[in-house]
Amino acid sequence: MVLMKKNSLIKIMFFTEILKGMALTFRTLFKPAVTRRYPKVKVPAQPGYRGLHALAKDNTGRMKCVGCGLCGAYCPSQCIHIYTTEGEDHNKVVDRYEVDVARCIFCGFCVEACPFGAITLSEQYDYANYSKDAFYMNKEKLLANWDTYFEGEKGNQYFKKFWRPLTEDFKGNPEQAMFSKIPRKEKR
Amino acid sequence: MTSFLEPILAPFIGMMLTTIVIILIKVAIVIGITLLHVAYATYWERKIIGFMQFRLGPREVGWFGLLQPIADGVKLFFKEDIIPATADKPIFYLAPVIFFVSALTSLSVLPFFDGFAVADINIGLLFLLAMSSLGAYGIVMAGWSSGSKYSFLGGLRAASQVISYEIAMGLSLVGVMIMAGSLNLTEIVKAQANYPTGFYAIPQVLGFFVFFVAMFAETNRLPFDLPEAESELVAGYFTEYSGFRFAMFFLGEYTGMLIMSAIGTLCFLGGWTLPKFFMDLLPFLSQLPPIVWVVVFLGKVYFFMFMYYWVRATLPRYRYDQLMNIGWKVLIPLALVNIIFTGTLKIMGWF
Repeated sequence: MVLMKKNSLIKIMFFTEILKGMALTFRTLFKPAVTRRYPKVKVPAQPGYRGLHALAKDNTGRMKCVGCGLCGAYCPSQCIHIYTTEGEDHNKVVDRYEVDVARCIFCGFCVEACPFGAITLSEQYDYANYSKDAFYMNKEKLLANWDTYFEGEKGNQYFKKFWRPLTEDFKGNPEQAMFSKIPRKEKR
Repeated sequence: MTSFLEPILAPFIGMMLTTIVIILIKVAIVIGITLLHVAYATYWERKIIGFMQFRLGPREVGWFGLLQPIADGVKLFFKEDIIPATADKPIFYLAPVIFFVSALTSLSVLPFFDGFAVADINIGLLFLLAMSSLGAYGIVMAGWSSGSKYSFLGGLRAASQVISYEIAMGLSLVGVMIMAGSLNLTEIVKAQANYPTGFYAIPQVLGFFVFFVAMFAETNRLPFDLPEAESELVAGYFTEYSGFRFAMFFLGEYTGMLIMSAIGTLCFLGGWTLPKFFMDLLPFLSQLPPIVWVVVFLGKVYFFMFMYYWVRATLPRYRYDQLMNIGWKVLIPLALVNIIFTGTLKIMGWF
């Protein structure tokens, strides 16, 4: 007990705690900083990051989107607007495909919903702009985004890596309630 | 250093004017160099604290952010000068001037190397203490005249803090005065140079410690920055100041830090001199030009400035009652013990 008191007295008299702290800060002085000098040195986004939208193109350079409208129907913030017309041989032609990025919540449901792997979320995260119009993406801008951010192999790998590619696998989860599993009679 | 001007100027403008011109040149040199130091003291403070906190500090303006203080200065000069409607205007105008002027006036008695002081007066140390207490008036007046509760609380805190720590600081320097037998700063430095250890910090450990702690409280720096406690009082006594008036407080504070560092250097670390045994070991040192001794002096000042930053980066702020306890119950008794101890040894002829 007496010894402890002596120790604490020495601690108080010679500021051992303060000196320990000073030693720590002095050692830190020579350690490298953790600062990332952001606008000059960009940190690559983590794989699978949900950033700016892009409309996928297939290998021939045509837009994958067929204008089914599932993404727009699924979108919780209703920021996808699709306008289609009937083409020459009775196919659907996507006239306008617009994403209001300023309203988007980046949930990724559109990517999940799309049966053709047409809408994607790129790893691009810094697209700040002074005008609102820059955040209203039309079809041309979205297709250009694909060329910019999903060039080559990256675009091919995107769905396989991060999303269950529905284009290759339409089977649902066995646990999931699906119409095809329900016997015909009950369905009636 | 400026004595070579005398034979050149004296035949043209007379002896009297020559003296004045030489003094003015000295003043210009001292103030210019000090303000440059103040500017870069802020830069190094931000750099060192940044590195101690795993950050980089200023980086963007100029090479390694070296032009940052100049950018800050330009920003401060062109800021809008806002005066609160409830302010007591004459005092509000006067307060930063008193604070800044008292800080700058202290520079006049500091010898930067042998024979270079604007005014080498016999009561130099006393003058410095007087000027540093005069600065407290600026703070109190700023706090009173701003018409804001934060400023007022900051001013009150500053008043009681500076007054109580001034006693400890003055008493801690008495030991040095006894040992040197003089209040003249040049004499104190010369006495140290002839002392066996080369500086008074070794026999005056207690005095040095008390001075060191009181130094932080006197300049309102962390861990004793209660008058401007950011987390409690916004900015304390200069909350309502902006633009150039704020800059005067800011410059005054950093000038005060430099002056405290210089006092510490002159009274405890041997000023511009190196220890006598060291000089005897390397005799060619005494042949070196005075610029070398300025560098030695500045090196010691920078050591103190580094301690300011280091302590700021390490310690949290003390509570107000703790601050007062340390001042009155620890530092003043320690300083008194030191005086008695030193005085006794002096009478016995050991010093």
